[in-house]
Amino acid sequence: MSKDSQMRAAINQKLIEMGERDRLKELLRAKLVECGWKDQLKAHCKDVIREKGLEHITVEDLVAEITPKGRALVPDSVKKELLQRIKTFLAQHSTL
Amino acid sequence: MSPAGCAHVNAYKVDNWRQNLRVIYQCFVWSGSAETRRRKAKSCICHMCGAHLNRLHSCLSCVFFGCFTKKHIHEHAKNKRHNLAIDLLYGGIYCFVCQDYIYDKEMEQIAKEEQRKAWKLQGVGEKYSTWEPTKRELELLRHNPKRRKITTNCTIGLRGLINLGNTCFMNCIVQALTHTPLLRDFFLSDRHKCEMQSNSCLVCEMSQLFQEFYSGHRWPHIPFRLLHLVWTHARHLAGYEQQDAHEFLIAALDVLHRHCKGDTTRDDNGKKANNPNHCSCIIDQIFTGGLQSDVTCQVCHGVSTTIDPFWDISLDLPGSSTPFWPLSPGGDGSTVNGESHLSGATTLTDCLRRFTRPEHLGSSAKIKCGGCHSYQESTKQLTMKKLPIVACFHLKRFEHSAKLRRKITTYVSFPLELDMTPFIASSKESRMNGQYQQTVEVLNNDNKYSLFNSPRSLSVCCGGVGILCLTLHGLCLCVSCGGADIICLTVCVLWWSRYSLFNCLCVVVEQVFSV
Repeated sequence: MSKDSQMRAAINQKLIEMGERDRLKELLRAKLVECGWKDQLKAHCKDVIREKGLEHITVEDLVAEITPKGRALVPDSVKKELLQRIKTFLAQHSTL
Repeated sequence: MSPAGCAHVNAYKVDNWRQNLRVIYQCFVWSGSAETRRRKAKSCICHMCGAHLNRLHSCLSCVFFGCFTKKHIHEHAKNKRHNLAIDLLYGGIYCFVCQDYIYDKEMEQIAKEEQRKAWKLQGVGEKYSTWEPTKRELELLRHNPKRRKITTNCTIGLRGLINLGNTCFMNCIVQALTHTPLLRDFFLSDRHKCEMQSNSCLVCEMSQLFQEFYSGHRWPHIPFRLLHLVWTHARHLAGYEQQDAHEFLIAALDVLHRHCKGDTTRDDNGKKANNPNHCSCIIDQIFTGGLQSDVTCQVCHGVSTTIDPFWDISLDLPGSSTPFWPLSPGGDGSTVNGESHLSGATTLTDCLRRFTRPEHLGSSAKIKCGGCHSYQESTKQLTMKKLPIVACFHLKRFEHSAKLRRKITTYVSFPLELDMTPFIASSKESRMNGQYQQTVEVLNNDNKYSLFNSPRSLSVCCGGVGILCLTLHGLCLCVSCGGADIICLTVCVLWWSRYSLFNCLCVVVEQVFSV
């Protein structure tokens, strides 16, 4: 495992242990609902299903279709805020 | 996809499968306790590549974690013929033979229960989950095919009220109450079970009122039955005199609370919780807060604490004969809540700060101290122990002293968003202990309020007085002129509220300014 992914794993572990990961997940969920991201993506899902047909659609198809769109549609402000939260958290628990 | 899952799920349901599944949920999907979290942190990585991303799944039949995206878990499933795996992020169950996520009713039930348990452990309590209709509800929906759709800019729920003779005080409070989201939801979902024999239940009348408001009718409603019931149950408000809106609010809440007896929740034994201190009627659930009063003895520094329930907070204003605490100097106060301190205008936060400041009870008001067993001078401080969901602030504009009764017309500005954190009891305690409390990140912003209702009174030059109720969904103006001619104007201006529907602030203000 590269140094980068090692660090990523370590940070992830710390986040889970302190319960921060759950809190961040909750914050992210609330923000994404608020800014309408969830509704946009839901509409996009429906479009994909309509295109491919209800009988032929698989989870893989959906994931492949909506992942790039979902990533692109996240507003910058939400990204910034979460990044800030993680940075603050790491600063406070700087034993890493 | 039937709710009975697939055949392979049925093959899994042997021996102690329920318990095993619960353990997996508790430890690896929704970790509630610190111990399970630690275990999850250490062990939830792919057994083949060590990554923790890539939609990690756990095998249901053995201890194996694998990436979904990189197909590591698929390999395992093929090799070991373990057909089922669980998604560690969301708890969904995947069948490799059917090549799809399957939804087994029993497993879903277990998942939901474990999720609720974890939320409780995390201190989050109940969270919103989508409505799943029961069989009976599905039946009802099929029998009643008419649907009403509420779009962003529809005017459903807005209606004017006719003034029945100086009843603008009642009208504005009624408008405020019908726009209270939790109250509205309670009544529109028919939650009131009336236990009164006579026809004089105010809660039933409120229910009727909500039906009128949401009927879609555009002409103003005449609330004569409501007025009659109010007169019956709150005699002191009867008559055609101009009344105090705040007094009406408190009287209305009281009567509603008393008539809500049929709706108090039942405890586990099916017995009704009839404890007057612990009422769980909708009014108490929404409006009741707890006010903590700490009396500190100046000699032994012992603190005696009492907590009283409240429906509203009455705030003193500057300009009254009692001295007003000056605005706090420096940057600390002026940018709190985004209120403007232009030209020294008083803000709602100033009033709250004054309300919660330690007050020295003079030598003429000595309290018997339980600690040193003597009468000593003391300081008293009020703080919020429990914040209500809807906070009502009453600005005391009428001053009654021995000599006169006058109206204080000081302008008070109030914010669209109010953070009550500096005024709650635990903030005060940590301040006293010398810790400066950093903004605590509570999972759901418990102490923040946003404004949605503000009844204000408006005086019209021909001598009448009207009361105006501003809501974040609309603007309704009720004017009565002169008493003999009753004119009602309903102006509906819509602007959409983007604030969360919980934690609403209702400001009952009577500001008279000439037009």
